[in-house]
Amino acid sequence: MAARAEFLDRIKREVAKTPGLFPATPAPRPANPAEAAEIVRRQIAERWPQALERFREEFERVAGVFHRVGSLAEVPNVVRGIAKEKGVSEIVCWDRAPLGLDLRPSLGAEGLTVTVAEAGQESDEARVRHRAEAARAGLGVTGCDFALAETGTLILLSGSGRPRSTSLLPDTHVAVFDRTRLLESLEQVGIMLEALHADPARSMSGAMITFITGPSRTADIELTLTRGVHGPKEVHAIFVERP
Amino acid sequence: MSESPLAVPFPERAGAALQDAFLQQALAIATTKFIELRKESFEGFPQGEALRDRARAIKEATLQRLDFYLGQLADSIERLGGRVHWATTGAEAREIVLRLCRDKGVRMAVKSKSMATEEIDLNEALEHAGVTPVETDLGEYIIQLAHERPSHIIAPAIHKTKGQVAELFSKELHGDFAADPEVLTAVARKALREKFLQADMGITGANFAVAETGTVALVTNEGNGRMVTSLPRLHVAVMGIEKVIPSMTDLMVFLAILARSATGQKLSSYTTLVRGPRQKGELEGPDEFHLILMDNGRARQIAGTLREALYCLRCGACLNVCPVYRQIGGHAYGYTYPGPIGILLTAMLKGTESVKDLAHASSLCGACKDVCPVRIDIPRMLIELREHLDRERIAPWPERMIFSMFKLILLSPALFHVSAFLGRALQIPFVTNGRVRRLPLFFAKWTRTRDLPPIAAKTFRERWKELD
Repeated sequence: MAARAEFLDRIKREVAKTPGLFPATPAPRPANPAEAAEIVRRQIAERWPQALERFREEFERVAGVFHRVGSLAEVPNVVRGIAKEKGVSEIVCWDRAPLGLDLRPSLGAEGLTVTVAEAGQESDEARVRHRAEAARAGLGVTGCDFALAETGTLILLSGSGRPRSTSLLPDTHVAVFDRTRLLESLEQVGIMLEALHADPARSMSGAMITFITGPSRTADIELTLTRGVHGPKEVHAIFVERP
Repeated sequence: MSESPLAVPFPERAGAALQDAFLQQALAIATTKFIELRKESFEGFPQGEALRDRARAIKEATLQRLDFYLGQLADSIERLGGRVHWATTGAEAREIVLRLCRDKGVRMAVKSKSMATEEIDLNEALEHAGVTPVETDLGEYIIQLAHERPSHIIAPAIHKTKGQVAELFSKELHGDFAADPEVLTAVARKALREKFLQADMGITGANFAVAETGTVALVTNEGNGRMVTSLPRLHVAVMGIEKVIPSMTDLMVFLAILARSATGQKLSSYTTLVRGPRQKGELEGPDEFHLILMDNGRARQIAGTLREALYCLRCGACLNVCPVYRQIGGHAYGYTYPGPIGILLTAMLKGTESVKDLAHASSLCGACKDVCPVRIDIPRMLIELREHLDRERIAPWPERMIFSMFKLILLSPALFHVSAFLGRALQIPFVTNGRVRRLPLFFAKWTRTRDLPPIAAKTFRERWKELD
């Protein structure tokens, strides 16, 4: 590690040469992230309807399609409708634990091929197989760890039974969430992520956190907005009223 | 890349850009649109101003302990099973990537948009080494197929028409494609999807890296950043040392203002936070994660005159508002980073000598400082650069001579008086309809494209005296 020591020594010497441009500190952080996260959760438990309304508004503003159902039992119906509309026959899903339900019994019976990324799979063969499945599938169904109202953003953590490609390779992405996932501001996201990293054993198992704000888009040709350049062309969010 | 813009001096490069009718139109449309989008997005965001102050303070605070945060970042990444490499120069950074390619048998690398890799001409080096680099940001992909360079930090191909792109795709991808952005985007999607699934290595930059958690943040709209960090078996991130920030809380502050400044979005479509390689229990993600921490001239500016330029987020907002960029576009600048901040970054990376003309490619109007999300005082540093060029005798001698004379005159009331008197007399043949329209000798360059107001018939002091 000589390279590292030498490199950092040089930086240290440069840093020591100047007091800087003005006195400055990083952003103040929650002293106890877990506690701060709990406070946010309690606040939102009381005012979630407003947060949900804001989420819907912002999500639709970025071309997201919002659905609302009474219970998890109604989710397969919505997914079926989207699949039908898109002419999709293959669906990939997260494991039932992070997703909240298993779509196979209800959708499999109707001629749709539903592949579930079971938790615990991590072999090379499983990886290659899953990639081919996800690349073929027209629809990917995931859970959603945080739904950020301020920007209409779905935040997904990768991990066991939560592959990254489910929300990336299929043309249409469907995320399922309930009121306990709602957050109001990026600041609150910061608190949640601080809490997550302070106690990684609890929920942060994967290496990736993805913020999804609407479908994939580009304006690289003559500034003409075009959707679905690499990622999904359509993003749906299904809100489940009874967690 | 094929053309070498630096073979032609800057005034000629700028002149050529001014003659390019399409470029003029494209620049006007693009920059105006970006300005409007940014303005609208901040208008509905009252906390934006305070967040900009906060972001600025975070950047400054990080620089004050940069060695600490870089060490912490490296520790965090190694704890997660990632590898950290230290590159003092651009050449070292390139060599690290090439060595990884050799050791791991890499034949194709997919890249998401990264100014840091542009800065070190990584694509050329990879090609030389027999590795195929594929740019996957649509704009960068177009530029790569055309063997050109990006002309805007966030919209690399704004200088190209859809007709040109259709022609390019038809030729390079063997088809007959309509000049329709929708069609062309679909063509690129199909071509690049295959590459994502085949590539051995994903190469990215980093918009931010969080020291405490070892998280590299990538902000994209297309989803290519997610592809290259999820699908290939290797992920290599190349980042300038100034991109490190302390905590997740800090990251949220930057996310709140970055997309707003760049494209007027509240957030870009995708913000990807990656920490290390695939973790236990995960089905997907790379086997290996490598972070290259690159200095390449940055560290010597920590205590230098360009320190503040190290705050830059690469949002491109200062390009859009700059009256010079709006006229000449990115290519005329001749280096990786165009626009007002580009001049400073070029001076930082390539030395002040390289910007002896560019340092003057600014009206010092201050629009760049106004829109900068971290309020970088670009005009101040441009003035300091000009001073430096003069002091070090890098500036051309006529310029230095004229300004020395000017200084002499301004310092002596008597000389000033005499000069005003002489000037009034000498200007008579050149004044028509109350304007100086043409000057002789090398002063002619000044009046070729603009008029001068003539020296007034009476100086202020003379008029003051008359008041008594």
